[in-house]
Amino acid sequence: MMNRRDFLLGAASAVALPGASGDLYTLAHPTLLAVLGTDAVHAIGQAYRARVPTERERGRLAALVRAGHVQSDFVAGRTVVIHGWVLSVTEARQCALFSLANVA
Amino acid sequence: MRAVLTGERGLMHIDARTLPNGTVLEGDLCIVGAGAAGITIAREWIGAKQTVLLLEGGGLTYEAAMQDLYRGEIVGLPYFPLEAARLHYFGGTTGHWAGFCSTFDAIDFEVRDWVPDSGWPLTRADLDPFYRRAQPVLQLGPYDYAAESWHRRDPAMIALPLDARAVWTKMWQFSPPARFGTLYRDEIFAAPNVRLYTHANVCEIEANDSLAAVQGLRVRQLDGKELQVRARHYVLACCSIQNARLLLASNARAPAGLGNGHDLVGRYFMEHLEIPSGRVALAPAAARRGMAMYEWTQGVTKARAELALAPAVQRARRILNATVSLEPGAPDSVAQSTFQAITPDVLAAERDSAAQGRSAPAVTAAPPAAERFFNAMTRQEQAPNPRSRISLGAERDALGMPRVRLDWQLTDLDRRSFAQFYDALGREFGRSGVGRVQVLDWVRSANPGWPKTLSGGWHHMGTTRMHGDPRRGVVDPDCRVHGLANLSIAGASVFPTAGAVNPTLTLVALSLRLSDELKRRLV
Repeated sequence: MMNRRDFLLGAASAVALPGASGDLYTLAHPTLLAVLGTDAVHAIGQAYRARVPTERERGRLAALVRAGHVQSDFVAGRTVVIHGWVLSVTEARQCALFSLANVA
Repeated sequence: MRAVLTGERGLMHIDARTLPNGTVLEGDLCIVGAGAAGITIAREWIGAKQTVLLLEGGGLTYEAAMQDLYRGEIVGLPYFPLEAARLHYFGGTTGHWAGFCSTFDAIDFEVRDWVPDSGWPLTRADLDPFYRRAQPVLQLGPYDYAAESWHRRDPAMIALPLDARAVWTKMWQFSPPARFGTLYRDEIFAAPNVRLYTHANVCEIEANDSLAAVQGLRVRQLDGKELQVRARHYVLACCSIQNARLLLASNARAPAGLGNGHDLVGRYFMEHLEIPSGRVALAPAAARRGMAMYEWTQGVTKARAELALAPAVQRARRILNATVSLEPGAPDSVAQSTFQAITPDVLAAERDSAAQGRSAPAVTAAPPAAERFFNAMTRQEQAPNPRSRISLGAERDALGMPRVRLDWQLTDLDRRSFAQFYDALGREFGRSGVGRVQVLDWVRSANPGWPKTLSGGWHHMGTTRMHGDPRRGVVDPDCRVHGLANLSIAGASVFPTAGAVNPTLTLVALSLRLSDELKRRLV
């Protein structure tokens, strides 16, 4: 299983993150973990990657997460429904990153 | 006329079965039906100079033969057995209700251009004084449905920090529940001017030649005996299905039934759609605040909150009004619908308990095993729909009355409102950080059908709707049947729209309002 260090190194090598001020580990750990738990978040992430083929790759997801904002998504209606949960697009991408990293 | 006095001297209850065939009962005001509406009106007249005849089709307690008169045919969407959904004895369906009370919202009374046939001829402000008077009738607390007030009374009751412009905290109060048959029995018996006749099933309303007024009622017994009733004014208070049934069956002079010149009687039958629709997972910070505000234990809880969408959100999304209760549940649990959870057998057990003076066992939705996961049970108004209706069937009951046929029908608006509601709820939970909302598959499905959990609350409404225009309503804004000078209707059958909350508080308030109106005319 990939650990935190492997995940960070892998992500960094996969893409040059613009203005890379964010911690990738944090990016891949949505607050949703505290709400739904690890298994549910992992499953949501897998489902998101299966549903959106253009966002299956770690670097792409990290960039999109950096550009997004969970609360703003909910205000603007940028939501997706995965496994029935009404989620911000950004946090769904975070879940996808989490499922790639598998660094629970 | 031979009267039978029961109980202490002076107590006036007459079992109509003991009266000779052809007996004529005379009074000033005749109320047909002794449930929440009928008893409420009768109590308002205690001590007046006028004589009130209160006719109850059943006895003082449950009798299978009387209850069977309510049996009917179901031809539309699946529904609960009609003979189990209503109680046919003194006190009516308060004999098994759970005591849920809340007020209709201001928007419920408005014309909403996206809800066909919406709009009441009165406003929430018009009804407020009567809501206030209805509170003690139902043994409720103060007329105060503000969440902040209940938090001040009990600091443990903390509302979730949601933006009220999106999702607001809708308060409910709970009657013990008031069982009118026992609660008000002695008062009615002792009233010098109120005569309660039990086993007095009205089979026909007799209009005069010009069909402009009622000249009498015909009461029939199981043994074929008939009685006549004469009064200055009559009030039908038999429940939504029976009010419509009686008008439709009174067709000796009006082939389509009385008050039915515009084919409205029995139409617009409405229920509250009570269906498990989703789940809520609270964020740890929200869960730590506690959920005392949302908990309910039968016979214990005085007030609790549910969640509802703000009127502006309803307008923007063009959807119906609804509220959602949050019931503790394990992360992978799904709640049962009302019809699934409370079967006819469960109702019978509760009725027997009440009849023997025992309280029903306390019921809580689920053990608090999971403190952050809650099943979301929706209670949504049904859109007024002329195709959803009560009509007369071919079969007749033991009194020779046509049995009813219920054709319960829903619309796309009913279906679409669920999905929109949960999208709005999910967005506000996410935005506020309170938690996340999970929507059940059937809510999100593009299939226009309904799930097998489709369920109502046994709330029958709308079959004699209120409107100022006789082409659009059976009764006028004073609840008088259009075209019939001395016939009024009490109960939820006059509701033009269903609101999102249980109907009892509103129907009692409307009954008080009707009683005031009758006093202006008869006293």
